[in-house]
Amino acid sequence: MNIHATPQRTPAETAFVDAFGDRLTQLPGDPAVMIKRDSAIEQVKAGLPTRRIESWHYTDLRRLLTSVADFDAAVSTTALAPLIEGSKVLTLANGVSADDKVALDGVSVVRLAEKLVDGSFAPALDLYGADDAIGAVNSAFVADGYFVDIADGVELEHPLEMQNLQGGAQSHVRLPVRAGKGVKATIVERQTGTGAATVSCVSQLLIGDDAEITWVIVQEQPDSATHLAQFKAEIGANAKLRLFFMNAGGKLVRQEVIVKAAGEGAEFTMRGVNLLSGDAHTDVTMVLDHAVPNTSSTELVRNIVTGRAKGVFQGRINVHQYAQKTDAKMACNTLLLSDDAEFSTKPELEIFADDVQCGHGATVTEIDRTHLFYLMARGIEEKAARGLLVKAFLAEVIEEMEDEPLVEALEAKLNDWFETHV
Amino acid sequence: MPAVQETIEQVRKIDVDQYKYGFESFIEMDKAPKGLSEDTVRFISAKKGEPAWMLEWRLEAYRRWLTLEEPNWARVDYPKIDFQDIYYYAAPKSTPGPTSLDEVDPEILKVYEKLGIPLKEQEILAGVQKPVEETDEANDNVYKSGRVAVDAVFDSVSVVTTFKKELAAAGVIFCSISEAIREHPDLVKKYIGSVVPTTDNYYATLNSAVFTDGSFVFVPKGVRCPMELSTYFRINEKNTGQFERTLIICEEGAYVSYLEGCTAPQRDENQLHAAVVELVALDDAEIKYSTVQNWYPGDAQGKGGIYNFVTKRGDCRGDRSKISWTQVETGSAITWKYPSCILRGDDSQGEFYSIAVSNGYQQVDSGTKMIHLGKNTRSRIISKGIAAGFSQNTYRGQVSAHRKATNARNFTNCDSLLIGDQCGAHTVPYMEAKNATAQFEHEATTSKISDDQKFYVMQRGIPEEEAIALIVNGFVKEVIQELPMEFAVEAQKLIGISLEGSVG
Repeated sequence: MNIHATPQRTPAETAFVDAFGDRLTQLPGDPAVMIKRDSAIEQVKAGLPTRRIESWHYTDLRRLLTSVADFDAAVSTTALAPLIEGSKVLTLANGVSADDKVALDGVSVVRLAEKLVDGSFAPALDLYGADDAIGAVNSAFVADGYFVDIADGVELEHPLEMQNLQGGAQSHVRLPVRAGKGVKATIVERQTGTGAATVSCVSQLLIGDDAEITWVIVQEQPDSATHLAQFKAEIGANAKLRLFFMNAGGKLVRQEVIVKAAGEGAEFTMRGVNLLSGDAHTDVTMVLDHAVPNTSSTELVRNIVTGRAKGVFQGRINVHQYAQKTDAKMACNTLLLSDDAEFSTKPELEIFADDVQCGHGATVTEIDRTHLFYLMARGIEEKAARGLLVKAFLAEVIEEMEDEPLVEALEAKLNDWFETHV
Repeated sequence: MPAVQETIEQVRKIDVDQYKYGFESFIEMDKAPKGLSEDTVRFISAKKGEPAWMLEWRLEAYRRWLTLEEPNWARVDYPKIDFQDIYYYAAPKSTPGPTSLDEVDPEILKVYEKLGIPLKEQEILAGVQKPVEETDEANDNVYKSGRVAVDAVFDSVSVVTTFKKELAAAGVIFCSISEAIREHPDLVKKYIGSVVPTTDNYYATLNSAVFTDGSFVFVPKGVRCPMELSTYFRINEKNTGQFERTLIICEEGAYVSYLEGCTAPQRDENQLHAAVVELVALDDAEIKYSTVQNWYPGDAQGKGGIYNFVTKRGDCRGDRSKISWTQVETGSAITWKYPSCILRGDDSQGEFYSIAVSNGYQQVDSGTKMIHLGKNTRSRIISKGIAAGFSQNTYRGQVSAHRKATNARNFTNCDSLLIGDQCGAHTVPYMEAKNATAQFEHEATTSKISDDQKFYVMQRGIPEEEAIALIVNGFVKEVIQELPMEFAVEAQKLIGISLEGSVG
């Protein structure tokens, strides 16, 4: 009870601090970047967040992160076929960028390792707050990634896919993307690999006025991996961001989504699916700021939890004082499929403007027995009937993406997961 | 949608500068030396003539308290409290346990008269009776349940408890907690601290060390308490903190309805009120606990007011037991209060109904906890928050189902309304399901009245404004109805508040 003792460093904390000392000379960065790295590692030294830190209440990182994979330049990875056929693929293998040329008009791609030394990148390494543990670990160690700049008015015909592959070691990457005015693009972020990897990835998206961006995150880490990810976006005036994420792997996963509706008329849509099995602990934490008037957002997250898995969804919508006419809706629905499954949710609203429409809903339950009965009465076996109901529960979210190749690809992923896990 | 004019008017009426109970009475007081130490704890215990085990219990809590830090997770902001600058005991001098009302200081009786609290048994009916124009069809049967037994707590002591004899005839014990410690030590020893242990939290621990009075209710097996029980808390003396402790026990199949009201004088400095309420319901028992909290909220500039840091918890210990909390919160500079239910018994039920209105610079951080431990337990949370002026109004609630709580069921609904652009409304619900058969639903709706409903009423020839009022009335009644009729009158003032345009 409120008694604070000076904590001893955990093995994971020690591993991070020691690794920083060892790797300091190899980490790319201009002086400003190196200062950011120093202050970031100080935050790690102060200790990883515990459940006493409100934003980590359900994911006690200090306790859950029992070990950290070593850095190992030798591990190999295998590139994946793109999620959607025809996509331009940028690969990061073991934290190192493999491509730096992409033949697309109006799109410039620079290796982040180069960007980190050109004197301009340091401000992007700022932490989100005192509880930004993912930002701190990533800022301290980030060595590569891709810096993508899409020029004003460019409309991409095919998606741009960035694959972050890790073969069981440790890596920290960043994917900053700047989409100019009126850009239309779909960007796919793949997170996968083999072995007990430790990965952190920070995606930073800046959306210009009137642009329309669809960002898809597919996380399929192996069952023993630790995946710490952050997606940050700022949406310009009359611009639209559609974010879709699917978490279908990993042992300890935290996906943070930090979005700011910064221009009037900005629209944010988030759809997410969490498929949790085995001993997975998966946490999706969203902070959404409505900072100006006339912005809107809807978020829908659906979860299924089996085995001994634990799921978490925290969503906070901040409506600032002058953000009148904000329209924000958030829902989180969960199906618990096994006796040992757990799910905790905390949908928060912080509202300082009076002329707004905000709402949230959250449910946690098991499969509706009357629905099951309905199907079984028609001769469908119980197992098949359950499968149908669960798939329908999730497919509803995916189908809302309204992009046929994308919906098909995601549904295929969903089916794959069902075959191996249920 | 912004709030309608009518709503703004209604809220203005209960604004901080309209506080009616801010008068101060000058009554000779007997006080403990200022500050908190083991000696203060011993002083209070000695003043109360407590047995040694009680003193030991208090001292243990005090020592524990010294190791704790003030909680800071709530969304409230206030300067650090100097616990050494408070009087922990202040009692009217003339009351070494008056045996009848005639012995009570007439000045004190005047205070209660002014507040409209019925202490003289023969005046009970007249006392609660409101002028006819204030009643309407909703409360025309206000007096059906007849009389209310009152325990009046003035600063640190209970000055009088009414209807004791009649209650005793039914087997019900209703007295001050100090008296209970002396007269019924076995019962107190068995139950005190069993719901809110001395180690529970900073303010509960402080309360355990220095609580001075409060009410004790014991309803034996199978008894339905023949009348409403009520405690009226008044802080009068300057620089004093009020630390009351209430313990209510309902044995198998018993029922009691208990109400609580509170007011304090208008002062520039802040005063601390840290109470603990413990409810125990055994098999098939039901406890209904209602609060109309009207402590002094501070002035229009946010100066003064009561810090209301309260720990209230009910334990549905028996199977099929039920605990229901209803609260109407309009006062206090800061409210930090989470009446909770531990649903331990199988098939037990917990309810929480709340209307929290904040104005001026008030800060409210209130809500509930429903901890489902037993099988087939059910809980229901209805919360309506209204923020105006520069106030901050937060709903913070937790619903959790333990692994063994099969078929746990919860429904939560919280709405809030903002009036003006300088205030804030916040919703922080925590839901934790550790059981696949649990069924939890949480909704925070934008309670704009549906066009369908409005159309239905209007096409019967009722004008729009009236149609809205009608629908809103029905909507808020969900909470108001849960109040005992005697309190419904007070709460009625809030009933007309339109919740149109509210946010979740």
